[in-house]
Amino acid sequence: MTNTATGIIRALNSGIKHIATKRFTLRYPEEKLKFVGDGYQFDPSTGVGIAGLKGRHMLFHDHCTGCQLCSIACEGVAEAIAMVKVPEEQKQNKKSIMPQIDYGKCVFCGLCVDACPFYALYMTNDYELSSFSKEGLIYTPAQLAVKPYVEQDSEIIITKYGATHG
Amino acid sequence: MTAELPPGLAIQKVDERIMTLNVGPQHPGSGHMRIIVQIDGDYIVACDPDPGYVHRGEEKMAEYRNYITNIPHLERPVIHDSCNALYPYVLGVEELLGIEVPERAKYVRVICSELNRCIYIMYWLAIYGIFLGHSTMFMWPAGDRELLIDLMEKISGARVTHAHFVPGGVRNDLPPNFEEVCLRQVNYFEKRIREYAAVFYDNPILISRTQDTGVLSREDAIRLGTTGSVLRASGVSYDLRQKEPYDVYEELDVHSPVMKEGDSYARSKIPWLDMLESCNIIKQALQKMPKSGSVRVKLKPNPKGKGLDSVYKRVESGRGSLGCHIVSDGKVEPYRLKLSVGSFRNLIALPYLLKGEKLGNMPSVYWSLNYWPVEADR
Ligand code: SF4
Ligand code: SF4
Repeated sequence: MTNTATGIIRALNSGIKHIATKRFTLRYPEEKLKFVGDGYQFDPSTGVGIAGLKGRHMLFHDHCTGCQLCSIACEGVAEAIAMVKVPEEQKQNKKSIMPQIDYGKCVFCGLCVDACPFYALYMTNDYELSSFSKEGLIYTPAQLAVKPYVEQDSEIIITKYGATHG
Repeated sequence: MTAELPPGLAIQKVDERIMTLNVGPQHPGSGHMRIIVQIDGDYIVACDPDPGYVHRGEEKMAEYRNYITNIPHLERPVIHDSCNALYPYVLGVEELLGIEVPERAKYVRVICSELNRCIYIMYWLAIYGIFLGHSTMFMWPAGDRELLIDLMEKISGARVTHAHFVPGGVRNDLPPNFEEVCLRQVNYFEKRIREYAAVFYDNPILISRTQDTGVLSREDAIRLGTTGSVLRASGVSYDLRQKEPYDVYEELDVHSPVMKEGDSYARSKIPWLDMLESCNIIKQALQKMPKSGSVRVKLKPNPKGKGLDSVYKRVESGRGSLGCHIVSDGKVEPYRLKLSVGSFRNLIALPYLLKGEKLGNMPSVYWSLNYWPVEADR
């Protein structure tokens, strides 16, 4: 009986201690966790990626040759990439086709980035993609060329009193 | 109504005492599955687990994709443990294609797989807490998981489905000064989970609810073919990291925990001890890891197997042994892929454990089997 009582008191005590410590959770939309690097990139010459967040893609029009390798890579994954004709004035390559990505299907695996041999596709830190319609999730080559700006600066801080986000 | 009904549709006679209850598939206490229990008053007379509600055809899907594009979907059955879910597949493909993996990549894989094991167990523990009505044990693991998810996000860029392991190594190298951050957060994590003992594992209320319920003897555990934490809670010291070390586990000191009681309490404590052991392994791996070097060998695009060949590889996942059998016929796609999962093997024990138990003990016994419905259905 006394064992039970002390056990329960110990359990309560270990919880009560946490009243005095700082909160660990993150106030998400206002604060965002910091991520490493400039987004997920891939170096085809060494065959190794560079660590970074896997969010929405970014397409460098001046590097893209319209080779369709990214679209072929995605065929077995989600069929999210379609090669579309770009208008004459944006034309960068001979075939004038470039990838268009449907974020309703994409699973953010990054295999298309690994497949691109010309350093044309990167993944950025913009992961909040939402839209009122299905069509709004389809990003055209022109939309993919824009570099997103997302402020992410919170980090996990560990002190001797506990961990917080700050 | 004289026409013969098919057996499943025949109307059962109402018994005076025995009542049949369907727990699930929508019930929060069952996951994506149904448990058909027959009760006499408060006591369970018979129980029939009925999985299969989340069957996705992972094995069939694998036959239509090549060895690389199989990666993102094969980790879906257990997204919290996605590195371990991919591990046997990747090891198998490496053997099929005859690839030698760089040393540093092996260590990175071990670190990722141990981090993922902890992430999975924390999620499992959170649900175990809420099944027993212990809401502190839901909040704490759900929060503390974040420390390790953050580490995995730094490594692979994604929070849950990492797609980080590939045949030939890992997708990218560790970010700069990862070792330092990892050591700091894993140390803190270890300190935090030690606090769980006072609030949960030494709590007399938990002990009185789970001790001596659903006892699985050593002989039965072996005979039923259970694996992982269930097997080790029944006193059998069998851990693939020790018995069939893969990658660099040979060079690391693994002391996998064993308890001999075989009741719900032991089965719920083993995963917690496993986490402490995982922290230990991560620290060893960080120390022994080569400080630089390649992490991936370059593959030809669309790698093919060499003619008719088959390979079976297994690893110790968060739920026990997880095996992957790949048959290749020399094409770019596997001819056949079969997964042998720990969840399904552990579920078999449920009818034996629940017989004669109170209905109120069902959630604790069921979840102590370390069962993940989506993995069992593949
Ligand atoms: S990240 Fe994966 S799913 Fe998304 S477009 Fe690229 S290959 Fe397809
Ligand atoms: S993004 Fe890369 S892989 Fe895709 S079409 Fe352009 S150059 Fe080819």
